[in-house]
Amino acid sequence: MNTSLALLIPSILDDYVQTVELPWCRKNKLPDSEIIFRYGAYVGSVIRIYPRLDRAMDTIRDHIRSCEESGTSVANGSLVLASSLSFSKGRFSRTWYAPPGGLWGCLLLADTFLPQFRNFLPLIPGIACCEALHQEGASTATIRWVNDVLLDGKKQAGFLMEGFCSPIHKENYHLLGFGLNINNDSFPAELRGIAISLSQVLGRSVELSSFALSFLAKLRYYIGLLLHEEVQWLERGGGDEYLDEHPIIKRWKELSDTLGRRVQFGYDVVKKPQYEAFASDIAGDGGLVLQHDNGTCSVEHSGEIRYCVKS
Amino acid sequence: MSDEIDFDKILAQYHSDPYEYIDVYASHTGKIRFLVQEGDEVDAVSGEWQHIPGTALFEITRERNSKKITATINGVISSLGVEFEGKFVEAGEKLLTIRHPLKKREIIEAILKEVLYVFRAPERAKYFFSPDVQSRVEKKSDREVSVKTGDDIIIMSLMKRDTPVYYSGEKGVIHSIYFKPGVSVDQGAPLIGVCPLEKLPLIQKIINKVKADWDKKD
Repeated sequence: MNTSLALLIPSILDDYVQTVELPWCRKNKLPDSEIIFRYGAYVGSVIRIYPRLDRAMDTIRDHIRSCEESGTSVANGSLVLASSLSFSKGRFSRTWYAPPGGLWGCLLLADTFLPQFRNFLPLIPGIACCEALHQEGASTATIRWVNDVLLDGKKQAGFLMEGFCSPIHKENYHLLGFGLNINNDSFPAELRGIAISLSQVLGRSVELSSFALSFLAKLRYYIGLLLHEEVQWLERGGGDEYLDEHPIIKRWKELSDTLGRRVQFGYDVVKKPQYEAFASDIAGDGGLVLQHDNGTCSVEHSGEIRYCVKS
Repeated sequence: MSDEIDFDKILAQYHSDPYEYIDVYASHTGKIRFLVQEGDEVDAVSGEWQHIPGTALFEITRERNSKKITATINGVISSLGVEFEGKFVEAGEKLLTIRHPLKKREIIEAILKEVLYVFRAPERAKYFFSPDVQSRVEKKSDREVSVKTGDDIIIMSLMKRDTPVYYSGEKGVIHSIYFKPGVSVDQGAPLIGVCPLEKLPLIQKIINKVKADWDKKD
């Protein structure tokens, strides 16, 4: 079993898209998939693999800085992967344990997205991860709003999206940090009971580079879909607001188990839960529609949820 | 920011017309159906989590997608574009005006917004001070926290996407904070009011003057 990422190079990812992902899309009659993959082809155009890093996001920031200082361009879609991270963290500096065996990294995306479409970006990694898990045989994978991926109700993957403005040229980037528990099957005490890995669910090890190819190919597809839909929308006349149901929202709803559940909401729901409500829908812009006990609804665009335990 | 402020003129304006007039525009193109009439009282959004919507003002329909637009502030409908009833309007068309009665605190804030440098929200999102500014605000008072153009002062949080917001404007100290952590702020709404250090006494003078004058009036 090859658990190394060393074989993961852009040309292998290109081949994987052409020989596995694209035929799968055609078989499932997904429209325009060839064009969509072309739009997303820059994802993983450069892949740097490290045996160990402190934080992948810091490495990408340093890379952008050093490119600008040396007068070279930053390749859009550059990806940093590491076998392990020493100082990884989740949101609000929560512990994120990243030992060998997992898929840890950061993807750099130049901010070329229309303002009406940026909100859909954070939904993409959850969809890509969930689909890759299903393909690997983990049929219980679901998404919890916004993009936590759960296996058997425990967190298998987490994603962080941070903006970064380059120091010299003031170019805006989205940095997508990701942490996927794949073959790492032991967790520190504070994460036991709430975190899980793919190998724990499947009862076997997983070929890490194959899983990474699947995840990255799906990121390519959905980022391509976002850009493709921008073009389609502009051709339909565009406007101030995007009023249709975006195909990314549609796919997110199919993969998520959030809607129809009673949830606890908070900006930092672990430290400071704010209220409980019923998750009734996803708004057109990706916001979570919460129905309160008095029947009124509010839409949250920022924050996080935890599922309430059924009594 | 001017050193010379004609307090008497400003205060006389607020005494004679202690209201703010808020125009409500069509957010996008669509067909309009009004749900209020001129003279109606309207309520603002309320509830602990801002989950009780304000009074429904009008319905705008585009491509069979109907949307009720509600009041974000309380007051009375002082003018209504009745000529738009049942008509298709362009985005940005002014549809109605709400006359909102001002409280003393709001009058002080309104005057300060005219004299402070107001830094506004780039998008509708939740805003937080960056950890460095937050710790300085907690250790000192916000009025001792200085900012200058290019400082990474605020984090904009939207759909689990955190983006640093860089301050651009006059160098000074943070005098007023208009956002609350965890509460959504509309695009263009003020986030902070910044005052050059040497102008702080003038600002305090404004506040004292308005308070004294308003208390006298009451």
